[in-house]
Formats: sequence, C-alpha cells, structure tokens
Amino acid sequence: MVGRRNGKKAELTEQKTVLAHLNNKNSNSEGIQQDSLAARLTAGEHAAAVELVDRYYQQIYLFMRRLGHNRQVSEDLTQETFFRAWHHIGQLRDDKALNAWLHRIASNVSKLYWRKHKGRETASIEKIDVLDSGESEPDKAANHEQLGQVKDAVERLSWKLRQTIVLHYMQHLSIAKAAEAADVREGTFKSRLNRALRILRKNIK
Amino acid sequence: MKEEQIERLLNELGRQTIEPVRPGLAEDIKHHIPQRLGPHRRGMDTINIIIDLRINKLTAAAIIIMTMILLANFFGGRDSPGNGLYQDSKMLVEYFLRTRTDRSDLSAVKSRYEHLIQTGEQAVYYGDKADLQDSSAVLLQWKLPDGNYRVITGDLQEKPVSAEQLIELLSKMLQKRN
Repeated sequence: MVGRRNGKKAELTEQKTVLAHLNNKNSNSEGIQQDSLAARLTAGEHAAAVELVDRYYQQIYLFMRRLGHNRQVSEDLTQETFFRAWHHIGQLRDDKALNAWLHRIASNVSKLYWRKHKGRETASIEKIDVLDSGESEPDKAANHEQLGQVKDAVERLSWKLRQTIVLHYMQHLSIAKAAEAADVREGTFKSRLNRALRILRKNIK
Repeated sequence: MKEEQIERLLNELGRQTIEPVRPGLAEDIKHHIPQRLGPHRRGMDTINIIIDLRINKLTAAAIIIMTMILLANFFGGRDSPGNGLYQDSKMLVEYFLRTRTDRSDLSAVKSRYEHLIQTGEQAVYYGDKADLQDSSAVLLQWKLPDGNYRVITGDLQEKPVSAEQLIELLSKMLQKRN
C-alpha cells in the first residue's frame, strides 16, 4: 500500500518536473520559435500541427481542469480545442502568440460547455504537496492550510473571475497575453483581476 | 490576508495543481488533425473571395457551370437544342441581377451570425431558407441572457422578442413556405 502510494507520488513528481520543464521551454521559446511554428501552421504543414499538440495538450488539459471540468470532460474539451484550432488556423498570424490564441479557443470551448450544462457542479483538481521545501513542519502545515483555503475560494469564484485568476497565476500568461486569451482589453482584464483578488482576500481569513 | 500573500499562494497553487495527463490523449488529438490543412484553407479563401464580392455561392456555382457549358459548346462545336443555353444564361443573369442586393444584405446577416457563434452566443441562421421578400421572415435569432431573443427579420430590422413571439414568427414562416 505504502509502496504503491510512493510510486504514485513519484509518478506525479516526475510529471510535475516534465510540465515545469515544458512551461519553461514554452516561455523561453516564445518569439522566434513560436512564430516559425505559427508560420508553418498557416502554411498547412501537418508536422507543425503534431508539434503544436505535443507542445500544448498538457497545458490545455490542465487549463480545463483548473476551470473546474472533471477529467473526462477536460479530455473531451482539450480535443475540441485542438479541433477548433485546425478549423481556425487561418486566423493565426505570425505576430500572434500561439499560447494566447490556443487559450482563447480553450476559454470559448469551456464557456460554451458551462453554458450548455448550467446545473453541473465544478470538479476539483488534485493538489500535490511540494516534497522538498525547506520549511519547518508547522510552517508547512500552515502553508498547506492557506493553500487549501485559496483553492476553495478560487473554486467559488464566478467563471469569468476564475478564468482571470487561472490564466494569469496558474497558466502563467502575462497580463497582455491573458487579456488576449480572455478576449478583453488589458484594462478590463486588470480590473477583473483586482476584483477577483478583492473577493479572494475577503473570503480567505 | 495581504494581497501579495494571496498572489504568492496563487502562484504556488498553480505549481501544485498538476495531475498526470492520460498518455493516449495526445495521440487521440493527433488522429483528428486534417491531412491537408493548407488546401482546405485555400478552398476557404476562394469562398471568402466570393463572399467579399457579395456574390451568392449558388450564383457563383451557376456562373462556373455556365462557363463550363459554354466552353464545352465552344470546343465541342455542339449547340444545345432550342437555344436552351441562351435561355438558361438569360435566366441566370436575371436571377443574379435581381437577387444581388438581397444577397449582399443577407451576407451581412450571415457575417453577424458567424460573429455571434464565435463569441459563444446561441444563434440560429435561417437566411438560406427564408423568403427574402417576406419582411417578417426571421433571418437570424439569438438568445439573450434573460431568456428572451433578438431577431433580425427580412426587412433587416433587429428587435427583441419573447420566446412565444419567436415561435409565432417561425410558425408563420413555416406556414408561408408550405
């Protein structure tokens, strides 16, 4: 039992490392590499589409999970996001960041889903405890509790505000790109972000 | 709790809300990549040019077919019996001239519909089936957050209607068509 739990934990840690590496790789490569991928995509190169999937499917899946969809629905919506991406590939321009463009499609897909399934409850995403933090046991416990409170408070936010928080703090998009992904002006996004933070501050003791 | 602390916790939460993704998911997505992304887009470009020129797709198709028949007749040296080709051409040109204005209005309504769909609205377009001479025909409808609807009718007026009024308008449209 303990062995199996350790195995699962090791698997999750490995996954986390891979994703962290992936996030770094994506943020570092934004610019020239992304632009060239965008150019290859608009030229209709099949290999570029494969590369786009490899580079972003995990991020989009996690985005869906963080927006409150359960595992199965998140998988379906991730597929739907890429399906729509193929059909809107003509909208992609070299100067547009792929990340924001994909997140924008994903946001619309998620929004449509919630609109169609109004009564459905949101699903919670599993939180992994950081294994190698240098904090003392009491600090760890306090931090763990605070994180739990923040997570619950984020899950109680309206879809719009939750999307704002998720795009900026969890998907790590800059304000400009997150605003593009949310399909609003930067000013509107900042105001939403402030509103969300205010509500969180009010709800977290 | 201070805002900076919440921001720090949110960043941390982002790092910690990570879960394994089913390995087969990427392959499932890749299976649905269209084999020819480029040619499809070029095809769409042609259609977009037709829309930009405000030519109805049906009319465009008719013109293409007519040109092909003309070319076939020209190179094959055959004439259609009873001046059929001439009559058909005349009819097509009349149809084109008569409907050109209507169709350009309609394409504006269709563009509106496409925009609504892209923004996630629940919109329905009837322009392909509606009688454009009928001013009360519903060309486009979309649902409002309060449960009512907005419609664009044949006279290109945009107005809010209740669900009951919409059903009435659509029923009238169906009756007229039948």
